[in-house]
Amino acid sequence: MAKGIPYNIALKHYRAQAERPMPQTDFGEELLRQYHPDYLRERCVDLTVGPNAGDPCHRQLAEVLQGDARIDEADLAGSPEVETDVLVIGGGGAGCAAALEASLAGAKVILATKLRLGDSNTVMAEGGIQASVEKDDTPQQHYEDTVKGAHGELDRSLAAQMVMDAPEVIRWLIQQGMQFELDQYGDLMTRRAGGTSAPRVLYFRDYTGLEMMRVLREAVFNSNIEVWDYSPAVELLSDESGHCAGAVVSSLKDYKYILVKARSVIIATGGIGRMHLNDFPTSNHFGATGDGLVLAYRAGARLRDLDIFQYHPSGLAYPPHLAGTLITEGVRSAGAYLLNAAGERFIDELKPRDYVAAAIIRECAEGRGVYAGDGQGRPSVAGGRTPGATDGKCGVWLDTPSIELRQPGIIEKRFPKLLHLGTKCGIDPRKQPPLIYPTLHYQNGGAIIDREAASTVPGLFCAGEVCGGVHGRNRLMGNSLLDIIVFGRRAGQAAAKRAHGFGRGPKKITIEHLRNFRRELMLANMPLARKSPLLFPAYAKFDVDSDYDGLRKTAAAGFIND
Amino acid sequence: MSNDPEKLISLRINGKDISAPRSHSVIQALWYAGYPRVKGVGCLQGVCGSCRVLVRRAGSNKVTTELGCELLIEEGMDVHFLIYPTPPHQSYRLEEIRSSWEVQAKFHEIFPEAEHCRHCAGCTSTCPKGIDVERGVELASKGRFSEAGELFVECVMCNLCQTACPEMIAPNHVALFSRRVTAYFHIRPSNLINRLELMRKGGLKVIE
Repeated sequence: MAKGIPYNIALKHYRAQAERPMPQTDFGEELLRQYHPDYLRERCVDLTVGPNAGDPCHRQLAEVLQGDARIDEADLAGSPEVETDVLVIGGGGAGCAAALEASLAGAKVILATKLRLGDSNTVMAEGGIQASVEKDDTPQQHYEDTVKGAHGELDRSLAAQMVMDAPEVIRWLIQQGMQFELDQYGDLMTRRAGGTSAPRVLYFRDYTGLEMMRVLREAVFNSNIEVWDYSPAVELLSDESGHCAGAVVSSLKDYKYILVKARSVIIATGGIGRMHLNDFPTSNHFGATGDGLVLAYRAGARLRDLDIFQYHPSGLAYPPHLAGTLITEGVRSAGAYLLNAAGERFIDELKPRDYVAAAIIRECAEGRGVYAGDGQGRPSVAGGRTPGATDGKCGVWLDTPSIELRQPGIIEKRFPKLLHLGTKCGIDPRKQPPLIYPTLHYQNGGAIIDREAASTVPGLFCAGEVCGGVHGRNRLMGNSLLDIIVFGRRAGQAAAKRAHGFGRGPKKITIEHLRNFRRELMLANMPLARKSPLLFPAYAKFDVDSDYDGLRKTAAAGFIND
Repeated sequence: MSNDPEKLISLRINGKDISAPRSHSVIQALWYAGYPRVKGVGCLQGVCGSCRVLVRRAGSNKVTTELGCELLIEEGMDVHFLIYPTPPHQSYRLEEIRSSWEVQAKFHEIFPEAEHCRHCAGCTSTCPKGIDVERGVELASKGRFSEAGELFVECVMCNLCQTACPEMIAPNHVALFSRRVTAYFHIRPSNLINRLELMRKGGLKVIE
């Protein structure tokens, strides 16, 4: 890999400039094929066991989907049992929306979450939420932009449902107490997203997700919903007809298992960023390790699009302790350019995210990036691994001073998080551009669902990032905060409805499906060494930590993974 | 080279002596030194309020509160993680407030301790986001909810202010209440209402 121009030299040549010409080059699909990490076929394998056997899947994800369970029957002997109508697994935006709706419909709801309520990618979302509310915009346009961004490879009925629900979702959020940016007449303000035909993103500063999450969390705490924090689910339960009948929930507080028997289960565990696919840094929460995909897959749920992920163009590339941190697309939407080390634009900054990310990777791979190594000419550690991960030290400028030149004061007013981030990097983004590089941001694929958020396994519902099909091969900015509330609410309503109509009578509830899955793994000669779900990224050393409150260098006994 | 990011820094975290490169945050330093840490780790981007730490810097008696994911390690630093406290003790539902005329009365029913503020500034000095917390409580107590909420735009609900309050006020929840009633009663965007009305009448269907 060409290393790029050293940071200090590139910075010396950088000049803030209000206008710069749009580059004329358009590489189209070829750009994606050559530089987008999804197109590296050697990064994929075909799954050998489970409902998606034969389908392509990212290598690292395949390892956990085809991993062995953390538990077997012996672990569960004597474990307490709890019954509920609806069990929600996951405490982010989708999980909270689902729990609130199920509770409102009269169901007894338990919400179990791996860390604290609200610990999720939702809280980190910055840019906003799409809903067609402007007079020259329609749900149809919203739908068509979504289809186009997705490269046409999406579940059209889900996308149609999402755009039609969008305005009502905004009303629901306001009634939960969420604020949005308003103009002088009290109307919702909108901004453009990459790949949209009209300004459609509603937002609150660059804290849209934080505002949403703290409001939903407060709403859940002030309801009848029972919240179990520090309680990751490690497996689903099934009945004799293979329907989902609850989950095995572990506790990080007392290291015990609880069997939660539920009439409906909703998985809302989010994505996989902390698996650091292709060695990329991530914008994701610490808990985003794909647990829900593993649980659903072993219980027999069909997944889709397991080979396509979103790399957000503007992750911070420097300094290293903040690498991967997100800078909202709203900054580009406000007119910030992307510049290579020579100060040239190289792509229309408001193309869909996959194109923009690929273009940044291209600039760096071809030596036109800015190299922020030690400044002493030490070679790149990851030299040669192109495209994709650099050593996290190469990037391009996000030209924030240019928007400040055009609209003085805009950064302080509209992007307080960016300003705060600048302080942490030791730069003032109004005067000096941050260095960015694509960061692993979103799992486009996931569990297959219908309009009611039902998975292919009866009794199991899925909502939010854990699902696939809504965004096809590429998601637009502002469509994920929308997706989680639309399908979170739908899942909650449908799960409560199913629980009400549930026949009584004895049902044998077991983890029998695990035995079958394990047999399949053995027949296929798959290694049983890898345990899943992961629960935490490897660097947190969860599996050697037997004391979660303290520090223990050498743990005597593993907790689950003994 | 004095600002070499790989230079090792020695410090103490939760009573353990460790060393890690100076470019690391407190949490990264722990992981680097081989210690597990699961609890108290969240978004790692300064917006979830999970990784609250007490910090004393070398040669200083002053103890400050910060977020461990954002705090870069320094030579001789002494750091302690604070375990996340219990959820809020007060309880309310927005739909039980019948109109905006009642908000102030309801507020003092839900948060009776808010008007007992001693103005000790403990809450403000613990805030890792630099919010004027005490002022927010005062404004809310006077019924100025919109203004109070506006001060807390950057609040990540880390609950440090609640921990610091001798009167058991939960300033962050006071502020969130203020923000929520503002939206619940006063955000009525005409562009959204128009759109909802048009769709209620069956307009604007999507053709797949």
